[in-house]
Amino acid sequence: MAEAKEQPRIGVFICHCGTNIAGSLSIEEVKEYAMTLPGVVVAEEYQYMCSTPGQSIIVDAIAEHNLNGVVVAACSPRLHEPTFRIATQEGGLNKFRFEMANIRDQNSWVHMHDWEGATSKAKDQVRIAVAKARMLEDLEPKSVPVEHAALVVGAGVGGMQAALDLASAGIKTYLVEKNPTIGGRMSQLDKTFPTLDCSQCILTPKMVDVGRHPNIELMTYTEVENVEGYIGNFTITLRKKARGVLTPAEAEARGIVGGGCNGCGDCAEVCPVIKPNPFELGMAPRKAIYIYHPQVNPLLYTVDFDSCIKCGLCVTACGEEKKAIDLDVVDTFEQVRVGTCILAIGYDLIPIEGKKEWGYKRYDNVITGLEFERLICASGPTGGKLIRPSDGQIPKKIGFVLCAGSRDNTGGVAKPYCSRFCCMYSLKHAHQIMEKIPGAVPYLFYMDIRSFGKMYEEFYYRIQNEGAKFIRGRVANILEDPTSKNLTVFTEDTLLGRPLSLEMDMVVLAAAIQPKPEAERIRQMFGVSKSQDGWLLEAHPKLNPCGTTTAGIYLAGVCQGPKDIPDTVAQAEGAASAASIPIHIGEVQLEPYFAQCIEELCAGCGMCVNLCPYGALDLVEKDGRDVMEVTEAKCKGCGTCGGFCPGGAIKMQHFTSPQICAQIDAFLLEGGEQ
Amino acid sequence: MATEKNYGNPELEAKLRDRYLYTDDTNPEFLNDVKKVSRTIAHMCYQCGTCTGSCPSAPRSSYRIRLFMRRGVLGLEKEALNDPDLWLCTTCYSCTDRCPRDIAPTDVIMAMRNLAFKYDIVPRNFLKTVQLIYTTGHGVPNNDVNRSAREKLGLSRDPPTTHSYPEFMPGIQKIIDHYKLKENADRILAEEGQ
Ligand SMILES: Cc1cc2nc3c(=O)[nH]c(=O)nc-3n(C[C@H](O)[C@H](O)[C@H](O)COP(=O)(O)OP(=O)(O)OC[C@H]3O[C@@H](n4cnc5c(N)ncnc54)[C@H](O)[C@@H]3O)c2cc1C
Ligand code: SF4
Ligand code: SF4
Ligand code: SF4
Ligand code: SF4
Repeated sequence: MAEAKEQPRIGVFICHCGTNIAGSLSIEEVKEYAMTLPGVVVAEEYQYMCSTPGQSIIVDAIAEHNLNGVVVAACSPRLHEPTFRIATQEGGLNKFRFEMANIRDQNSWVHMHDWEGATSKAKDQVRIAVAKARMLEDLEPKSVPVEHAALVVGAGVGGMQAALDLASAGIKTYLVEKNPTIGGRMSQLDKTFPTLDCSQCILTPKMVDVGRHPNIELMTYTEVENVEGYIGNFTITLRKKARGVLTPAEAEARGIVGGGCNGCGDCAEVCPVIKPNPFELGMAPRKAIYIYHPQVNPLLYTVDFDSCIKCGLCVTACGEEKKAIDLDVVDTFEQVRVGTCILAIGYDLIPIEGKKEWGYKRYDNVITGLEFERLICASGPTGGKLIRPSDGQIPKKIGFVLCAGSRDNTGGVAKPYCSRFCCMYSLKHAHQIMEKIPGAVPYLFYMDIRSFGKMYEEFYYRIQNEGAKFIRGRVANILEDPTSKNLTVFTEDTLLGRPLSLEMDMVVLAAAIQPKPEAERIRQMFGVSKSQDGWLLEAHPKLNPCGTTTAGIYLAGVCQGPKDIPDTVAQAEGAASAASIPIHIGEVQLEPYFAQCIEELCAGCGMCVNLCPYGALDLVEKDGRDVMEVTEAKCKGCGTCGGFCPGGAIKMQHFTSPQICAQIDAFLLEGGEQ
Repeated sequence: MATEKNYGNPELEAKLRDRYLYTDDTNPEFLNDVKKVSRTIAHMCYQCGTCTGSCPSAPRSSYRIRLFMRRGVLGLEKEALNDPDLWLCTTCYSCTDRCPRDIAPTDVIMAMRNLAFKYDIVPRNFLKTVQLIYTTGHGVPNNDVNRSAREKLGLSRDPPTTHSYPEFMPGIQKIIDHYKLKENADRILAEEGQ
């Protein structure tokens, strides 16, 4: 503080960005103008400042002109601030001696047809940046250690894969699933395209691996209640929902040795309450004490306390030895500390009954693709016999309505995007009925067949070769014959140019998919944005598809956007890899944009402490009086406290009041006297 | 077996004519004109067929709304405006209800009809309808069969329209005159010798 104020020696470096900038404003004029600004000792321009030669210009100029501040007028800090900070550092300066003027995204791209205006705005931007650069200070980023553990939310195939990868990389992984069992949608499927392997058969081994991996702590019937902290140090509060049934370990903790649920099912046998099983989409019953299906993991019954009448029959049936059922339990809470988190919370079908013209929920024999999966599945409610809900008859002519609610801009329940796996699973369904039902003919009503993956077009060829009928026309409406319950499908064969009405025994809607309703709460807790279509937003659609804009939070599977199993697994492995990097490095660097208390000015009023949204401030006693103290790792540099403090005792590093005022002055006074 | 070379047969000649679509056949401004008049996003049609599949006219005629949508997108003005099918839309709006691209195909058809009218391309029955509205206020005026049916139902012989309130006729005529509708209908019919 006491040292003499150094004279500013600023270098200004102006980038053409090819023609992105140079095509819309005069680089030469801006450069000449920069030289006239107080403190500027050198101004240079170059085609691509971010290139290696471009950066060398900066490095060399720092040495040659003994600079103490660097201004680059180019693109956005988001894109290249890290690049130019490194150049600044390589030139021998503290890397925070750098300021960027965004004359591309905020200027040349918006004022493409106003050469004079854009040039003059660029001068303003450079003048403002130089004003700040004159006042920059050396800062040191703060390193904080990273918790050697990770959290994965959602145990569908995406979450399971991510957890397995993290765990196998030696990281303690908490896998949290809100349902009583892991597996997600994939465990509801019968076969999987394009190889047609049985979904459960390829999924069960993974489920078993998840269950017994020493580094995975599986927490089913559990939801995230609260998230605190930042990359490296998240504190997650989990709500373990009252399950009413004890695991063998929990039983042992209560002194019931050799007890706990062994999955025998004696309880469900005696339970008098019957409810629809959501796993079977309501097409099969379950009791108030239940498992979804025989392959559940963990094999552990669950009491649905919303329908349980507490008759206690199950408790008696379970017996004195196991003593696995406790109908008086309540939700419990547990906190875990993790370094990084992966969200893999999957998807739902849209409420397709909202598209009234197709009659779902009005006509008995109109079902969704997911219901088809359960009806054709050997372990499903009909033992794998596809029957018409109206009369139990085996359907012969089955219509498949593709893009049901997808690629549809009419609003309501419809979605403008392509749901990406329904073409393929409809082809699969067509194959399944031809395989299982002699003489069955599938009719696929489609706009385009999107068979983009490896071996997918070949699969399309195969199904057409097997005899499936393809009609290129989106279904306009469906009418039901009230007596026979047969369905007439209306469309146009657009290739013939003729309207078509075809009578079907059954119609399967390839319903669009949408984010889970709880995704909204999850994303707010973890600080993740959503894209305009509602799915969780990745950091960059091409270059960072697994990350998010919140450091330490990653995405896997359909929650980020529609994708099939191969793509889900691939993204999960990418997310696991990305999430393991900070954990393996062991520490993360935080930008030093912390609030600092100027203790001489602090009156100890404590008003700021309550204002801080991140709980980063405390009052502490120093030299016999209260002063505010910042926990730097918690501070996000939002500036709430700094803007408020009546005594001006809070300094926001890198965004100090004098720096910001200098920028405002530079703008308003147009470089005139201050 | 008697053979026939069939050279110079006009029917065969017509069958063998060049079917390629050349850019000369299109008028790029046509799509813009259609959009301006219809105020719908006619260029966004992705040819799914929902409109034709919904259309009550399609199964009973050669009229294909989707085909007109395509002609609009490609700027095939002549082909669209000269096709008599253009006049077979009942304006029921079923297609507009269901179009997944949220286009109003009905309004596209109405726009094309308006554009056709500028070239005097209008079927006779439409022009006669104009004349009838001008004289009676009704496209389909009341007649004696209707009148007795109304009486049987306990209704007045004439409905409470211009039939009962002829004093509104001058107003209707004023509107029609303003757009020169009647004048043009009379002229076109006269030119056709009707
Ligand atoms: C009818 C149909 C047939 C299909 N057939 C195929 C096929 O043959 N081949 C193929 O490749 N793909 C197929 N798919 C696509 C496949 O289902 C998905 O690609 C896959 O399930 C995506 O996995 P996921 O882990 O991202 O999501 P999900 O499987 O949906 O798993 C998400 C998990 O997260 C849990 N969860 C949600 N919210 C929370 C929360 N708040 N807290 C904790 N946990 C939460 C859910 O309970 C669930 O277990 C089909 C889809 C459908 C609808
Ligand atoms: S995957 Fe196929 S059926 Fe599904 S929305 Fe996309 S194009 Fe339509
Ligand atoms: S449209 Fe013609 S070229 Fe194309 S696949 Fe069919 S027969 Fe072959
Ligand atoms: S319904 Fe709409 S998008 Fe589909 S063909 Fe008709 S106008 Fe085009
Ligand atoms: S409005 Fe016209 S084109 Fe559309 S469905 Fe009705 S009759 Fe057919």
